[in-house]
Amino acid sequence: MFGAHLADITIATQTGHAAVSRRVWTYAGLGMVLCLTMLGSLVFGYKVYSLADVWLALSANDGSETATVIAGLRLPRAIIAPLVGAALGMAGVVVQTLSRNRIASPDTLGLNGGASLAVVVATVVFGVQSLVGLSLAAALGALVTSVVVFGVAAGAGGLSPLKIVLVGVTFASLSHAVVEIILTSNEAQLQQLLFWLSGAFVDRPISLFYNGLPVVVLGAAIAFALSGALDVLHADDSTASSLGVPLVLVRGLAFLAVSLLTGAAVSMAGPVAFVGLVVPHLARRLVGLRHRHQLAAAALSGAIYATLADIAARFVIYPVEAPVGAITAVVGAVTLLVLLKRRLA
Amino acid sequence: MDERVASRIEVKNLTLGYGQDLVLDALDLPIPAGQITVLAGPNGCGKSTLLRAIRRLHAPQSGAVLLDGEDIARLKGKALGRRIGLLAQSPSAPLDMTVEELVRLGRYPHQAMLQPWSARDDVAVATAMAGTGVAHMAQRRIGSLSGGQLQRAWIAMVLAQESDVICLDEPVNHLDMAHQLDCLELVTRLNREEGRTIVLVLHDLNLAARYADQLVFVSGGKVRARGAPEVMMRADLIAEVFNVTAEIILDPVHQRPICIPHRRG
Repeated sequence: MFGAHLADITIATQTGHAAVSRRVWTYAGLGMVLCLTMLGSLVFGYKVYSLADVWLALSANDGSETATVIAGLRLPRAIIAPLVGAALGMAGVVVQTLSRNRIASPDTLGLNGGASLAVVVATVVFGVQSLVGLSLAAALGALVTSVVVFGVAAGAGGLSPLKIVLVGVTFASLSHAVVEIILTSNEAQLQQLLFWLSGAFVDRPISLFYNGLPVVVLGAAIAFALSGALDVLHADDSTASSLGVPLVLVRGLAFLAVSLLTGAAVSMAGPVAFVGLVVPHLARRLVGLRHRHQLAAAALSGAIYATLADIAARFVIYPVEAPVGAITAVVGAVTLLVLLKRRLA
Repeated sequence: MDERVASRIEVKNLTLGYGQDLVLDALDLPIPAGQITVLAGPNGCGKSTLLRAIRRLHAPQSGAVLLDGEDIARLKGKALGRRIGLLAQSPSAPLDMTVEELVRLGRYPHQAMLQPWSARDDVAVATAMAGTGVAHMAQRRIGSLSGGQLQRAWIAMVLAQESDVICLDEPVNHLDMAHQLDCLELVTRLNREEGRTIVLVLHDLNLAARYADQLVFVSGGKVRARGAPEVMMRADLIAEVFNVTAEIILDPVHQRPICIPHRRG
């Protein structure tokens, strides 16, 4: 175009290459840390096992107590926790772009609230007891809520980011209120439900993982397919439309991705707070704002975060297990404050 | 105004409004290829809406916008994005976005879902950044830029679209005099050196007269008059459209007419 600027073009291309190799290292590092934390999830707990025990239990389960604990109890949570973390991390990325709000999370759209309400209603009204039944109820609750919130926000005109948040927050508080009303009038089931409602990976059958995995994969596939359009949604609506983004279609599909990811996560672990809020911030610091990379980094760091929280939950009030949702909420709140302070400084 | 130049865009009988209120009222306007057309007019006259309608951000109630003879209503969003770029009035993006990330957005109309980012996209982004003088700040966050730098980054985003027609909605608002000139000189260069068709909305009539090939006065949702600045900058016409009495003199530097308003008409 302008001959004199040829040097500038070369410089810009070179900094681009440097960014690419930096990202490759970031992903490799995150992948390695994830493998280590998953291994840690098998090793640490009420009893600490050696790597040799873990290897033996996984390669040749001899039916001993050690092998049963590792393969039967710790293995499911060592693979469910990262899947849930990855799903919530990706959901958080999409929600924050969808709402143009950096402190939004799947809960802001009322999805966790809807899932909780569905679980409580299923237990108290329909007498559902099995974990698989409750997990289905949770997923259904998240899906129904997302359809309702999307419908109301769209009906209120144009699906603006502000309306999405307003309608979502309204439904979140409404469902939390209803949950509390039902719970206070049903003390018998309070203990059991309270544990579920703060999210946990303990005592989850591995079948939940196999049910959740395809849903997470589908949600992630939609989110990744939308990544170019989501990038453009960073800009204002006029700019996004003038670049050719069909706003309502993209927002609808993004909503679908979020509800699949959150629904699957909630069905596996209950409403684990704050993962979807904090993880996108970490991801953006690591790889920048483009969604392809933000989503990938959020999946990896979300998986690490949830797995670490699950390990921590075993030791905070040792020998009793703490609800992991409480851990992620505390760690998440502190992380967020640190991030905010750094941003301001 | 030389009417022999082929029209790139033809606004035909365009009527557009919100509910009962008509913003554009059976408006006709040819926009010649390879020229700078500036839309001017009083507040609320419909010039911004007209510009946005040219990029199909508003659907007309009747009439049409023709691009090379083809109704833009029939084009797909991305296809239209490859042919007409629009820099919205006061565009916004997250403050921690880098200049490069912002400029890359302009490549969206060229991307297919499963087609990876190509070397051609890289070249378009780098060229757009170089042409607007923001290449050396590619990795800076847009929140750290000055108003003038930020505006250049946004223009680079539109350039990365590589559209032949570029619309800019009040691009020099909030810029100081030096940066207003920078911005409009850049736009002129794009027009003169690359033959791009430019449509601008400008509030400052003197800047409009300096840079326009075709100056268009919009008022009450209609085109009141259009033509070369020399023809348009007449005291009686300005009094009628802008409701001010004004003196018109010749700018001694650029030999273009300038307007000195002295009171409300």
